[in-house]
Amino acid sequence: MTMYIAFILSVIFVIGFVGFSSKPSPIYGGVGLIVSGGVGCGIVLNFGGSFLGLMVFLIYLGGMLVVFGYTTAMATEVYPEVWVSNKTVLGVFVSGLMMEFCMVYYVLKEEEVEVVFKFNGLGDWVIYDTGDSGFFSEEAMGIAALYSYGTWLVIVTGWSLLIGVVVIMEITRGN
Amino acid sequence: MPLVYMNIIMAFAIALMGLLMYRSHLMSSLLCLEGMMLSLFIMSTLIVLNTHFTLASMMPIILLVFAACEAALGLSLLVMVSNTYGNDYVQNLNLLQC
Repeated sequence: MTMYIAFILSVIFVIGFVGFSSKPSPIYGGVGLIVSGGVGCGIVLNFGGSFLGLMVFLIYLGGMLVVFGYTTAMATEVYPEVWVSNKTVLGVFVSGLMMEFCMVYYVLKEEEVEVVFKFNGLGDWVIYDTGDSGFFSEEAMGIAALYSYGTWLVIVTGWSLLIGVVVIMEITRGN
Repeated sequence: MPLVYMNIIMAFAIALMGLLMYRSHLMSSLLCLEGMMLSLFIMSTLIVLNTHFTLASMMPIILLVFAACEAALGLSLLVMVSNTYGNDYVQNLNLLQC
């Protein structure tokens, strides 16, 4: 079962996505996105990316979704719609779940599925091995290269964030 | 190609369809946009980790920076719509009547 943990987590990821794409009230959509973010972090951790998994929790869930949460609290309605209170939302959720489980059943019965690429079950635990990286994590070294090889990238993203703040202040000025 | 990618591409397609089909709230569409960004982040992280393409590890972080910018802009527009009309229903955006 531990071999298939990445696949099981990705199925829970898709279930979370169906949960907020079926559009209940936005506060429940935020709950679905938080679940998907946590499970996505788990998938990344399974492939050995500890720093990027931490980034998902810290910046994506802890930064962006908190902002979405209190903006939703500002613009919400008196009786929010949960998944079971509205037939449209429930129908879309159930049909999305059925589509995902049919896909998973088909893929587990035949050993591979070809949509545009060939997806087969062997690739999950057979990873490319390009030599020994020593005692440090390759992914952390690659991210640290942002400040040496990617100096221009840092300048461009910093400047675009600054311009984004200026644009938002102009939009919310009101008059 | 690993089976995990199939599920993550399917998650992106589901969030894309959720973005394009409105119900009442504008906020739900912004949440679907965030979902698309999350699935792109996970997908690029898994590809970079599987192929040991070390220098490309900074790409998911830069993607997250621009996704944060875009989310903040979308939210500021939603706040202005909500200030004018009291709620964020999509049917309020009807000044262009065609």
